[in-house]
Amino acid sequence: MIQFNNLSFGYSPKKLLYKNLTLEIQSGSIYGLLGKNGAGKSTLLKNMVGTLFPVEGSVMVNGMVPKTRKPSFLQTIYYIAEDVYVPALTIKQYKNLFAPFYPLFDSDNFYRYLTELEVSVDGKLNKLSFGQQKKFVIAFALACNTRVLLMDEPTNGLDIPSKSQFRKLIASVMNEDRIIFISTHQIRDLENMIDNVIIVDDGKLLLHASVADIADKVCFKTVSEIPAGVKVLYSEKMLRGTAVVMENIDGDDSGLNLEQLFNGVTENPAMAKQIFSTN
Amino acid sequence: MNDTFSLSRFGLLLKKTILERAMQIIGAFAAVLAFTFLLYTLILYALDWGPAQNLAFIWGFIGGGVVLSSVVFSYFTTNAGGASYLTLPASALEKWLCGVLISGPLFCLVFLSFFRLMDYSFVTAYHNGLDRSSPLYRSLYDHVYLYVFEDNNVVIKATVLYTNFVGAMMVGSLYFNRVALVKVALVVCGMLAAIYFLNLGIVSLLFSNVDVAFPYFTVLIKVQSEVGSIELPHYAYDITNNFLQYVLPGVLWITAYVRLREKEI
Repeated sequence: MIQFNNLSFGYSPKKLLYKNLTLEIQSGSIYGLLGKNGAGKSTLLKNMVGTLFPVEGSVMVNGMVPKTRKPSFLQTIYYIAEDVYVPALTIKQYKNLFAPFYPLFDSDNFYRYLTELEVSVDGKLNKLSFGQQKKFVIAFALACNTRVLLMDEPTNGLDIPSKSQFRKLIASVMNEDRIIFISTHQIRDLENMIDNVIIVDDGKLLLHASVADIADKVCFKTVSEIPAGVKVLYSEKMLRGTAVVMENIDGDDSGLNLEQLFNGVTENPAMAKQIFSTN
Repeated sequence: MNDTFSLSRFGLLLKKTILERAMQIIGAFAAVLAFTFLLYTLILYALDWGPAQNLAFIWGFIGGGVVLSSVVFSYFTTNAGGASYLTLPASALEKWLCGVLISGPLFCLVFLSFFRLMDYSFVTAYHNGLDRSSPLYRSLYDHVYLYVFEDNNVVIKATVLYTNFVGAMMVGSLYFNRVALVKVALVVCGMLAAIYFLNLGIVSLLFSNVDVAFPYFTVLIKVQSEVGSIELPHYAYDITNNFLQYVLPGVLWITAYVRLREKEI
């Protein structure tokens, strides 16, 4: 479990990005962290892994304090940054040098993930394309079997088949003890993969809800006329009418559209709060 | 699990640190040794044995140590590189020790061995090239000997400068994420200039006709055409000496460890 207790963080002490953020992230779930550019997504991940420290408040990851960066903590968490770092080593050399630091590393799975993601195993890693390097890092991170896996824009640079393969892999490695936390602004890449959504904007937590909860509270429809007397979180003119995200008063079971939900929540945070705070 | 220090984990880290960037580290070593060799031969050609041995040792040892210490913590040029380094499951003490070991004992061992070998080759070649039947043979032979590392004032002073500059470079490379070597050089030059002028100001208040007032040992005053050196009282000299030899490098090297623990990226 990851707990943020009244976390305040800012790159300058005078201008805080997050102020008194309280949030609880449960094990056994895949979380999608959504936000605009500069909303503070990466900052939140870095606070979880301990490469940034809270100004006030605390973060606890499975009962440990990330800030201390103790080896016993770092063995249980893997962070994939948005850009990729790979040294001038072959895949085998990299595995031999880095894998011993992760006691649960699974070598067989590592090569299986590489095959599934179609990563070329010949030559030095730094000579691979950005997409190939990214897929290599994802395969290595998954093979480490850490209890927490944090990914910052993991699908950036991945081609369409790789994105699909990535989703399958993430689903296959998920278990009850694990937390997978994916930060992205490419919302469609997360659809049908995540079971919890967190939306942040300008350092504020706008939404934290499970997919089931979202389906329960709002519905996604295409209508010819916007219905009256219903809270409409978001509307967008389409070719065949108007797409709306509105309060689910009839208990409709509509598919989740993350992009529309995200637009609705960021454009209309007060209404989103109202809708999601009702039982 | 020991979260402060584990010998097996440290072994893995040292192996990873060296092999991960083998070309960078070996390249830095090779460049430093080549530079030392070049300097030795050029000064020998232009001046004499004494300056060649001293200057090649001073610049190679101090400059080489600084270059190498700028490499050992140079992970922070990219966000991903820095994050990968900081989140690698090893303690800050182990990571710091790795850097210290490479830019300290390992560098000293390689540099001193190379310098001894290079100096030995040059001196032996010189001695063998002398005409044994010449009446000047003995004096020419005695003109050149192997460079002495023990009880050599130049080596002692160079070691003091090495420990200080390497410490400053390690701290600097953990503060400046990009082009740390240049930025640290600028900061150190700025600080030396500030200390020089501060020292000059203070000395000028106490003495007239100050010639040079470089801090530490060199305060010279002019008396007509003569130049005299002002020496510190014995106790003050000892305090200054101990400060520069032990306290300042100790503070700098420990600051590098503290900075590594507190490093954010």
